[in-house]
Amino acid sequence: MTLARVAAGMAALLTSLAVQAGVVSVVTLPVPVSLPAVLVAAVALSDGAGTGMAYGFAAGLITDLGSTHPAGVLALCWMAVGLICGLAADRHSVRRDALLAAVICALGAAAATVVLAVLGRSGASFGDAVRYLVPTLIGDAVLALVLVPVVRVFLRSDALAAPRPPAVLLGVDS
Amino acid sequence: MRRLTRRQRVSAIALTVLALCFITLDLGGGSLAGAHDGVRGSLGSLYRGTDTLLGPMRRFVQGVPHAATNESKIRALQQRNAALQATIAQEQADRSTSKELAALKLGSGALGKKVLPARVIAFGPGQGFDWTVTLDVGTASGVKLGMTVTDGHGVVGRVVHADRGTSLVLLAVDPGSGVGARNSRTAALGVATGAGTDGFTFVPLDPHTTIHVGDTINTGPSDGSSYVAGLAVGTVRSVRTSADGTIKATLRPAVAPDTLDLVGVILSGGEAVGTRAPVGTDNSLAAGGSR
Repeated sequence: MTLARVAAGMAALLTSLAVQAGVVSVVTLPVPVSLPAVLVAAVALSDGAGTGMAYGFAAGLITDLGSTHPAGVLALCWMAVGLICGLAADRHSVRRDALLAAVICALGAAAATVVLAVLGRSGASFGDAVRYLVPTLIGDAVLALVLVPVVRVFLRSDALAAPRPPAVLLGVDS
Repeated sequence: MRRLTRRQRVSAIALTVLALCFITLDLGGGSLAGAHDGVRGSLGSLYRGTDTLLGPMRRFVQGVPHAATNESKIRALQQRNAALQATIAQEQADRSTSKELAALKLGSGALGKKVLPARVIAFGPGQGFDWTVTLDVGTASGVKLGMTVTDGHGVVGRVVHADRGTSLVLLAVDPGSGVGARNSRTAALGVATGAGTDGFTFVPLDPHTTIHVGDTINTGPSDGSSYVAGLAVGTVRSVRTSADGTIKATLRPAVAPDTLDLVGVILSGGEAVGTRAPVGTDNSLAAGGSR
């Protein structure tokens, strides 16, 4: 992990939160389409399950603490989004990866709604989780089609590429 | 499908346990209240800082559903020269703001309370199930927790967090919140529960009272209620009586939650101290127009 990657990750998260609160939420209200969740998925698709899991947890916790619902709900769900996307990434087809990100993010949003309904907070209900699943999938797919290739290009650039072990650099492990 | 390494498995379990600890702590009491306040304040500052860029985009998006009605006006404007267009656009924006301020002034006059104008700079972050908006006014302008927010006619919500420059408002249509309300025709009391974009569900306390489609439901009484009394909650859209005689009415909200822009915080109790003067019964409109 390099300082540049941490700074870029934080900047991307804050930007996505600002755009989510300023524009995306207005367009998609009351469907839980989430730009930060798609960002987590896009990072996981490029960098793997470990990075996705950690980034999802951090992004979810910050969003949780800025919201009115109990902290930890989105941290848990977005961590799972990062984990699953990292494990299931295709890494060859951008469109397939974007669709995967949309499906996992929509399921993550439904899972968060169910957890909140179980906790009896924020007025979420099991009906909402089912009712908004398809609209969330469509909204997330639109965001993912834009975000996944952009994040991939950034994370493959020399400045932000993940540091690799010397054995990999020397081709010993292949 | 790849497999997790042993280290990643341990990390996943540790983070899951940590998330469950956070949920338990937050549900258990105010252990994380300080963390919530800090992050909400920081995000509020972020939204305030980026509103210059995102605000016009948001207002454009909010205006898209009405675009067809403005088409002829837009065509007419396009025929004029650029300078005139700019002038007209500016005048329209001023008129719109003036109209909204006038509505706030009217509301403050009717309620006999001072109203602090504020602009919505962000909608609930992260996920759509947060029925909150962030305003560009905070404690520096006199905003306190629990204050009622209005659009000048109807109830918008109440302040659940405030820092120096921004405040977080839980919308009245939040499905988890209830408003003490009164039918303006019969004066019957009841509870209006938020139902998101569907508006409200109103259940009268007296099951023998009558409710008609078109009845107006207002907030009140003020004692024991989180909201200032006398603000419009909504209009009765349909009435249903269940087998046990319980009456349930659905309300069309007086304030559409997805078109919020300029609102007012009702400064109930205490004088506002800050840079933005409140619009009150004894203040002129110009005093509130410092934005």
